Amino acid sequence: MSPPEQHALQQQVTLLELVDRVLNKGVVLSGDIVLSVADVDLVYVGLRVLLSSVASIEGERRAPELGSALP
Amino acid sequence: MIHVYGVVDELGELPAIHGVEDAPLRRRRVGELELVVSEVAGDAEVTQDAVLRHAQVVEELMACSSAVLPAQFGRPFGGDDELTAAVAAKSTELARGLSRVRGCVEFGLRAVGLVATPVVHDSSGTGYMRARLEDERRREQLVSAVHEPLARLSRATAPASASAGGVFECVYLVPVADVEAFRDAVSRVEPASPELTLVCTGPWPPYSFGTSGEDTA
Repeated sequence: MSPPEQHALQQQVTLLELVDRVLNKGVVLSGDIVLSVADVDLVYVGLRVLLSSVASIEGERRAPELGSALP
Repeated sequence: MIHVYGVVDELGELPAIHGVEDAPLRRRRVGELELVVSEVAGDAEVTQDAVLRHAQVVEELMACSSAVLPAQFGRPFGGDDELTAAVAAKSTELARGLSRVRGCVEFGLRAVGLVATPVVHDSSGTGYMRARLEDERRREQLVSAVHEPLARLSRATAPASASAGGVFECVYLVPVADVEAFRDAVSRVEPASPELTLVCTGPWPPYSFGTSGEDTA
């Protein structure tokens, strides 16, 4: 995987992880949390596909430092 | 309608950014708890912009308060009374959550490659079961070699899911002071587990530890 491709993959993983956190984690204050949005399912589909493709990359081993402006 | 970003403790000034739908952030106190909210026109639409803005506000709050319990991006509250009732009903749980995440961020880890080795089904049922058991132990050891060094650096972990589908997932609540040590530990466990592909992301605000988490102490 070339560095630009690796960077793009890291960005994708970061975005998916972020969206997963915002929509599915966090404290539930409202009793009515159901989101009727087709995109939410796509997040999961996308993540599974991504993980499969990562797993299939032989010889490519990464532990990227991803994330935010936090320490 | 009121959109909630999270519960905060010892918040200084509100961050100098706007929230979802570009609305100004506001502080709202319910009993002993303080929340950061903004007005939204209706049911907040779950667009990528809205999700990213929510996340950005939570990150900014991390920088200017002593603890943040991020709220799940959910349907907005109809008004102050509804918000107050919902928060008051969970006040003890929320206060406990704030205390748990104080001074911490979270890291997410996925380990891919915990594939079961095919076991030859010979005539001996016992032999087959023993081989299956040994393979299960092998996968457990792979997970332990990755998970335990990271859990030791964490205040709590959640949820340490089973390795269903060949993937182990876990989230680690890590004191800010130990972030570098945690990163070092990840970079050490990776070459030590060549069978696995690790994807580690963070540091994130502690989204996964509001109301749950297994203390490692």
